Amino acid sequence: MRHTRRTGSRLLMALVFLFLYAPILLLIIFSFNFGESNTVWQGFSLHWYKELFHNRIIMESVYTTLLVSLLATLIATVVGTFAAIGLYSMSRRWRNPLLTINNIPMMNADIVTGVSLCLFFAAFFQGWRSFARWFNEAQEFMELPLRLTLGFTTLLLAHLAFNIPYVILNVAPKLRQMDKNLIDAAQDLGCTWMQAFWKVILPEIKPGIVSGALIAFTMSIDDFVISYFTAGSATSTLAMTIYGMTKKRITPEINAISTLLFVAVLILLVVNNVREARLERQATRKVVKPAPPTPAARFLVDNAPRFKRIGAGVLACGLLVVMVTLGGAARSQRVVNVCSWGEYIDPELITLFEERTGIRVNYQTAESNETLYSLLMSGGGDYDVIVPSDYMIAQLIEEDMLAELNYDAIPNFSLIDERFQNLPYDPENRYTVPYAWGTVGIIYDRNVVDEELTSWEALYDERYAGNILLINNSRDAFGIALKYLGYSVNTTNEAEIRQAYALVADAMDRGVFQGKVMDEVFQKMEGGNAAIATYYAGDYLSMVDNQADNVDLAFSIPEEGSNWFVDAMCVLKDAPHYEEAHEWINFIASTEASLCNMDYIWYASPNTEALEGYPAYYEELYEEPLDPEVYEIMAAPADVLERCELYVSLPQKIRTLYNELWITLGI
Amino acid sequence: MKNKLSGFAVPYVGWMALFVVIPILIMVMYSFTNSEFSMTVENFTGMGVYMPVFLRSFRLATIATLVCLLIGYPTAYLMAKEGPGFQRIAMALIMLPMWMNFLLRTYSWMSILENNGLLNRLFSKIGVIDLYNTIAMALSADPGKYIPITHFQMIGTSGAVVLGMVYNYLPFMILPIYSVIVKLDGSLLEAARDLGSNNVTVFRRVIFPLSLPGILSGVTMVFVPSVSTFAISRLLGGGTQMMLGDLIEQQFLGGAYNPHLGAAISMVMMVIVVVCMVVMNHFGEGEEQAVML
Repeated sequence: MRHTRRTGSRLLMALVFLFLYAPILLLIIFSFNFGESNTVWQGFSLHWYKELFHNRIIMESVYTTLLVSLLATLIATVVGTFAAIGLYSMSRRWRNPLLTINNIPMMNADIVTGVSLCLFFAAFFQGWRSFARWFNEAQEFMELPLRLTLGFTTLLLAHLAFNIPYVILNVAPKLRQMDKNLIDAAQDLGCTWMQAFWKVILPEIKPGIVSGALIAFTMSIDDFVISYFTAGSATSTLAMTIYGMTKKRITPEINAISTLLFVAVLILLVVNNVREARLERQATRKVVKPAPPTPAARFLVDNAPRFKRIGAGVLACGLLVVMVTLGGAARSQRVVNVCSWGEYIDPELITLFEERTGIRVNYQTAESNETLYSLLMSGGGDYDVIVPSDYMIAQLIEEDMLAELNYDAIPNFSLIDERFQNLPYDPENRYTVPYAWGTVGIIYDRNVVDEELTSWEALYDERYAGNILLINNSRDAFGIALKYLGYSVNTTNEAEIRQAYALVADAMDRGVFQGKVMDEVFQKMEGGNAAIATYYAGDYLSMVDNQADNVDLAFSIPEEGSNWFVDAMCVLKDAPHYEEAHEWINFIASTEASLCNMDYIWYASPNTEALEGYPAYYEELYEEPLDPEVYEIMAAPADVLERCELYVSLPQKIRTLYNELWITLGI
Repeated sequence: MKNKLSGFAVPYVGWMALFVVIPILIMVMYSFTNSEFSMTVENFTGMGVYMPVFLRSFRLATIATLVCLLIGYPTAYLMAKEGPGFQRIAMALIMLPMWMNFLLRTYSWMSILENNGLLNRLFSKIGVIDLYNTIAMALSADPGKYIPITHFQMIGTSGAVVLGMVYNYLPFMILPIYSVIVKLDGSLLEAARDLGSNNVTVFRRVIFPLSLPGILSGVTMVFVPSVSTFAISRLLGGGTQMMLGDLIEQQFLGGAYNPHLGAAISMVMMVIVVVCMVVMNHFGEGEEQAVML
């Protein structure tokens, strides 16, 4: 009887552990996969580990994570300890309300803390801008930067904001336990209060300080949400990098870094368990602690010794890595921060540019024009060069967020086809250099869809319910619906827009859409996880390159017409690296870079020589002629473009309507 | 001397004013203004539209919390009954995933639950999908019109989101309950048995009430992050299961920039969470005092 009960209980626990570990095990197994797939085993290989160490983005984010955690822990421990001592020397009348405020960051949901800090920083940056402008005009000795952005400093401040309370929380019980007479006694015996502090208080509360520091470190390492709202774009912790990647193509290097992290923590745990088992034979002192204020806090204090043991090891490893990285990091002075879209550049161009000019390129990507705009408005866009689309450029110019370019520094602008100069978004062509252009169309898997799709109707068709992906930005999603209904994509007629919304919302209610995606579309369509999507022509060609064996993708621009777009490089106002930005833009506009890029991203270049010369370039490179159909998809011929409209910037009122409807759609 | 030491807190009081109080005040200010910065309560009055999101968030977070409790309590209880060596290893194993980033683990579930993912591949290989089609066709009113399924829809459903929450936050439920149960005074249980209680009564009248503080810790530690998540719903819900966290994220860094509405929703969430915590905390402390008495 007893035996069976034990078996039953072990079985339950085994199931729980299986549940907890199966996904992790999967990551580990597929980190050794030869191929890119996370579902199909293609043979053993270690090359993802090699790639990992060459992946600058991942390695830099690991470094940022460790550095911010260590710095935040260090500062928070010192500040928190002093604050705790100070607070406990106060009278109750002052102490209690202050402690309540201290608890706020621990009690609030992370997202609320993140959002409030994000707003705070944005407000500060605005105030700073006015101040700096006034200051720079008032005197000539010193020039203050006008534009401040979220970055490492704000990230560190935010980590401190939630770390210090945890340190206080851990130090406080020790202070409460301490006999106050000890301090008096020390002073009676001739100590100054400084000596009393070092010789009496500090040794008494040391265990609290240590566990406080380690919990702070754990919290920092583990945090995603607060960092996400306060780090901006150029600084990225490992968690943020992973989140960014899940929106794009997730490279198997992520599996490799997961495996390494897992193994590192596992080793620490094993070492600690062995030590713990040894220590257990010795008697342990039992300390009664007063109850901390929140249940979560109570848990943390209760488990402090556990955090402590694991944390000590992590801390040591972290320090080592930071020191090694610091030693190896010899960074060039000149920098340019570029923000573009996912899968939108041949990475070799970045290397080539860095080699030629010695300018370091910090290359970031945004998800859509709308998210880029949000990021810029929240003070998070630490960029020099951005590559927004036509309508967003018009909006940014209208809001005075772009700097005029110095075309003398961009001689390659003369290579840009006249069709792509002086377009409506920048009529006098003072702000932009076109990057690429293309069309939006319907991408589908012939193995699932038996017919040839020539209408947007398929997007709202119940027959393919659960297999259709809605494009995740309001302009494209509603624009396509407007086209399907026979209206202009630029309509300012509210009734028409609402009708388009109703069409999409109805399909949503009927469960037609599997999800809303931007760059996740690559992974979904290539792997056969969805059958119909709307996306950009160039990306369709990339998908065909990578499609799985049981997937056969096709592309069409429906009869109702579509959108054609131009993405252009612009420089943000007050960009700190104005000159480097021009060098970058000139390099990208060159024929050589354009050809290289066209071959990699499959988007058509606005550079006349590159556009016309690409078929020949392809033939030379691959020793086979370029399929004219492919070329037509890249560079849509005139008759197709006739069916397509360019987006123009909408008036503020309509933009607000778009935003409202877009949010309502998700409900 | 006392005054000198309390001076240590002055910088921190300044810090708190700057980085805790002012940010929240700014948030409050944003929530009561519109984009022209004139006073309005529209952000709150117009929030009725988002009721479904509030309801969904609370529903999914509640389900996730209950499932965590249902799995977590027995696990914690049984763990506490094992020998010390087993306990130590089990504890370590439960904490280990917490040290890997939760985004990594959620991402792993994506490749399991996809339409063409591991589970669906497994199902079609062992014939579950064919079996389902055969049964469904036999049961359907018009077998000729039955469209056979090729996969089970798992990703992009509310079930997937709940699964993600349970998976990520289960350790937060097990650990506090375990640490309470393992500290229970054995003599109390003995006394209860001596006084004639059977095992069920001992559990119901002694163990369970005494483990309530652990349950409360666990419930808040699972519920608060669940109700405010945006990464899990985004990755496993595919954007079709909008939660409060997504709603807020959309207004700040997402595709619909409107920090005023975002601040208002954050405010509401803050108030709800703080009220819940205060109530629970009060409840929890009451329990502990009862234990002490």
